[in-house]
Amino acid sequence: MSAIHLQNLVKKFGDFTALKTMDLAIADGEFMALLGPSGCGKSTTMNMIAGMEEPTGGKILFGERDMAGVPMGRRGVGFVFQNYAIFTHMTVRQNLAYGPKMRGAAKAEIDRRVGAIAEMLQLTPLLDRKADRLSVNILQRVAIGRSAIMEPAIFLLDEPLSNVDAAFRAVMRTELKQLQRQFRQTMVYVTHDQLEAMTMADRIAVMDHGVLQQVGTPLEVYNDPANVFVARFIGAPGMNLLKGRPVESDRGLVVDLGPLGVTPPLPVELAAAMRGARGEVLYGFRPEQATLVQNGQGLAMPVTFVERIGARTIVHLGQGEAAVKTVFDNDVGLAIGDTAVIAPTTSSVRVFDAATGLAIKAG
Amino acid sequence: MSAVTVMTSKDEMKAVGTRPGSRDEGARLGFRLTLPAQILVLFISAFPLLMQLYISVTDWSPLSGTGWWNAWSMWNSFANYTDLAADARFWSALKRTAIVMIVCVPAEFLLGLALATLFADDFPGKRVFYSILLMPMMVVPAVAGYMFFMLFQSGGPVNDILSSLTGSPVTIAWLSDPTLALIAVMVADIWQWTPLMFLILLAGLVGVPEDQIKAATLLGANPWQRFVTIVLPKMKTIIIIALAIRVIENFKIFDTLYIMTGGGPGVATETISVYIYKLTTQDLIWGYVAAIALAILVVLSIVAVFAMKRMARAREVAA
Repeated sequence: MSAIHLQNLVKKFGDFTALKTMDLAIADGEFMALLGPSGCGKSTTMNMIAGMEEPTGGKILFGERDMAGVPMGRRGVGFVFQNYAIFTHMTVRQNLAYGPKMRGAAKAEIDRRVGAIAEMLQLTPLLDRKADRLSVNILQRVAIGRSAIMEPAIFLLDEPLSNVDAAFRAVMRTELKQLQRQFRQTMVYVTHDQLEAMTMADRIAVMDHGVLQQVGTPLEVYNDPANVFVARFIGAPGMNLLKGRPVESDRGLVVDLGPLGVTPPLPVELAAAMRGARGEVLYGFRPEQATLVQNGQGLAMPVTFVERIGARTIVHLGQGEAAVKTVFDNDVGLAIGDTAVIAPTTSSVRVFDAATGLAIKAG
Repeated sequence: MSAVTVMTSKDEMKAVGTRPGSRDEGARLGFRLTLPAQILVLFISAFPLLMQLYISVTDWSPLSGTGWWNAWSMWNSFANYTDLAADARFWSALKRTAIVMIVCVPAEFLLGLALATLFADDFPGKRVFYSILLMPMMVVPAVAGYMFFMLFQSGGPVNDILSSLTGSPVTIAWLSDPTLALIAVMVADIWQWTPLMFLILLAGLVGVPEDQIKAATLLGANPWQRFVTIVLPKMKTIIIIALAIRVIENFKIFDTLYIMTGGGPGVATETISVYIYKLTTQDLIWGYVAAIALAILVVLSIVAVFAMKRMARAREVAA
């Protein structure tokens, strides 16, 4: 087991900067997800941790140890590839035994370790099967077992579920999380799928355009996004953001959204944090945290689309800059052309500085 | 090969495979479409074969004064085949051909593999070297033969280089010495056909999944271990194909060799093809030639079938 410290990590490919600068401390035994859209630098970061790529600048420490110049075979890192990279010309047993064998372990020792790891991963009945015709969850277990047998301090997983269809992903997520609990290794998990990150990770590092946007527990990044990018990226659908100006009213500080009218008053602490600042802001609330109201105490918007996804119904309101999505119960009685009056739950409202995109924090 | 596929449901899989009659209908249509080509192929391969078989049991020759179709009157009840078994010159030519093959094919393979390994990575000037490397393969074998004939003259460049290396004048009569002549023709063959081996093996090498090599590296395998445990097994099929092509081609070695030595000195470099050529053009005993050619064909076919079987098995293993 080992903590990982990334200090001022920079990676450039020629003129292209894949990673501008990255500081991240991953605790021993922690499950950290690197989450972001493709091209955000998450895979580059992971490849540098694994030693497949050399950083252009900055340091990678495993515990206290500087990894500069340590070749990838000597880092004690387990790596699970996107497509698992199972040695298809070998049996499951040969796959599992590969690491110890290459390091020259004795035959009896190899057999013992393969037996133990196979038992743990429930691969024992499959040991002598060829690895080219296994189902994807078995492949995942073989890939993990093949790395785990080396007892790596750190496990890196590069989008291991991206080739799996949606129905099966839930099964694999559960399995993976259970395995991590068993092994208690430090795990770094790269994904573009927020659901994977939210469900499995202890903490999530959200990245975009080679810059770390926010690090926090799943609930922290969901409830209190640090900036507009995180607010929009996390959540399905993402947070609604409406441009407006803060205005003082007799009910307290409200946001004037122009043609949409004014919002309900902001929470007191948030209003306090915003006093003095009078520039444009983005008024944000989660689609799940708006309610339909009958009287005029909300935002009146035309319904433009209704998506019934089963458990819930996503209602699209307004158009262009003034578009929001809201999530209601599945039997909500709204249809295209209706006018809905919605009121965000006061405590769930977040406000961002429109110029910098940063969250304005209460208190 | 290593792509992960997931079937969403068993029913879906079934639906693809067993649409009633679809496979049979497809096969029938395919057969009808290729029928003209199949007839043509059958004709151009079966006709000469039958003709050869027919002539091989007769004493027919172009000087017999009658067409080959009348050769039945010269039936000699398999004498050609019994002669063949007792023909010392045939057996020595066969042995020589085998020696050339045993030296040349592995040499070409190892050189080709080494070069392919080198060219799988990037290095400055790679494209230029790549073009240069492929050039021997594009030289007309007759031209290559003449080139090596010149190189190996006793006053030729090979001896000049040896002279400047040793400091004393070297005048080896390469092509008139029985052993050296054989070496010279093998050098020419290796020079000309290593590039083909290189090309095929390079194609196989770049097809080895990168991530499996990375995975092996992360598990602590050194370059040699990676080569032996991952790269070679993944290349098995293509290696067998490359070897099969070269074994069959090398067995028929003729043009370069014939221009360099004419099979000489004496019969020192006489391979099967050279022997057949001489029997055909000088001795004009075509019945006997047909018998030899048929015997060779049988031997090569056995080799080919063996190679194909290995290939099918390797594909199963490597898939």
